[in-house]
Amino acid sequence: MQMLEWIRFASGVGLLLIGLGIFMLQLFGVFKFKYVLNRMHAAAMGDTLGIGVSLTGLMILSGFNLVSLKMALIIVFLWLASPVSSHLISRLEVVTNEHLAEHCELPEHLGEDELF
Amino acid sequence: MSKPIPEEEYRKKPLTRLLQWVGGEIDPFLETMETQKQQNQKPNERLIRKHRRDLDTVISMVHDQKHNKVYKLFRRFYKVASVVCCLALIAMLLTAVSYLPPVGAADNPSSNEVAAKYIEDGLQDTGAVNIVTGMILDYRAFDTFGESNVLFIATCTVLILLRSDKKKDKRQEEAEQRREQHYEPKDDSILQRITFLLFPIIVIYGIYVILNGHISPGGGFSGGAIIGAGLILYANAFGFEKLNRFFTEKTYKWISFVSLSFYCLAKSYSFFTGANHLESGIPLGEAGAILSSGLILPLNICVGLVVACTMYAFYTLFRKGGF
Repeated sequence: MQMLEWIRFASGVGLLLIGLGIFMLQLFGVFKFKYVLNRMHAAAMGDTLGIGVSLTGLMILSGFNLVSLKMALIIVFLWLASPVSSHLISRLEVVTNEHLAEHCELPEHLGEDELF
Repeated sequence: MSKPIPEEEYRKKPLTRLLQWVGGEIDPFLETMETQKQQNQKPNERLIRKHRRDLDTVISMVHDQKHNKVYKLFRRFYKVASVVCCLALIAMLLTAVSYLPPVGAADNPSSNEVAAKYIEDGLQDTGAVNIVTGMILDYRAFDTFGESNVLFIATCTVLILLRSDKKKDKRQEEAEQRREQHYEPKDDSILQRITFLLFPIIVIYGIYVILNGHISPGGGFSGGAIIGAGLILYANAFGFEKLNRFFTEKTYKWISFVSLSFYCLAKSYSFFTGANHLESGIPLGEAGAILSSGLILPLNICVGLVVACTMYAFYTLFRKGGF
């Protein structure tokens, strides 16, 4: 029994630390990159993967109860909301930036109308 | 008894003139003030060219980074000074924090008889398990009333500043729509599908937070903010036409008016019955139930409605200058 408790504690703390590491990467990326799509990628990574891993760690530490259910709902909400907001930002960037080809490769056959 | 007076005399009375002026029927300065027509001003081409040349010279001298020694020095000084300022600020704040009394110590200045009174008698006086709600909506309800009115007045101010009443002709409107369509892509199917899933959940969660304000953490302000955010999400995904089917300017007006006047009347009543905000005559009920703690629940609903409407009104006013 003691062993199981230790495994639970270790895995929970481990996941929490991994999540915090991903958050550090996110912060670093947001301030390091200059172009909006790169920064958006870094920010979205923290909002989905980072929060997912850290909250899973917290759920393991908390055990099987109502608080864990709420944390699971937070994960579901953020995994629904954050990719959509990233999608909107990238779509706005693609639509409004006239010099898009300087920053990323575009498929050549794609016309102006097919982009959006 | 009063005598009937002729119409000419009636028109000259100051009260009548004031009422007419308020109503916008007459302009008291119309024939008494000397006015002059504004003359068309001709732009002085020579002066404009000179200004432009001066500006170009200044800009080229300032941004000539290779030869401008002051600029170089300033860049270096700026880097050092920003680091020094940051460090000084951090040191100051940390020093100040280290002098603060420890959290929760018995002899802190904040733990005086006021807090003790709230904690000891709050549940009995207000019937709210959440002491904070009991405080802001019962002991200090007039303060919260002022806050709700501040929100309403802020909306009115933004309305005055940003309202665009101009009727556009058809071609202008179409061009604007096309521009908006181009820069702010609507009918995004991903966003619409996710909003379709999330919007009801967000609104239900907001209602839950409002209704449970006196039992658990939450209340009118936070719940109203959640509902307002949901409305903004809906407007973003489906456009204003769809939202206007259930939320128009008229709805906004009526919700704000009814909530604020109900709040005012309810709290005036308890003020009238002894000014202690406590005995409202409404039974407090069993602490912990949804229908308990007297006036706090309806007041929470009022505050929540006002906050939700204000958030949405701000968004729509800044977005397109009207509902």
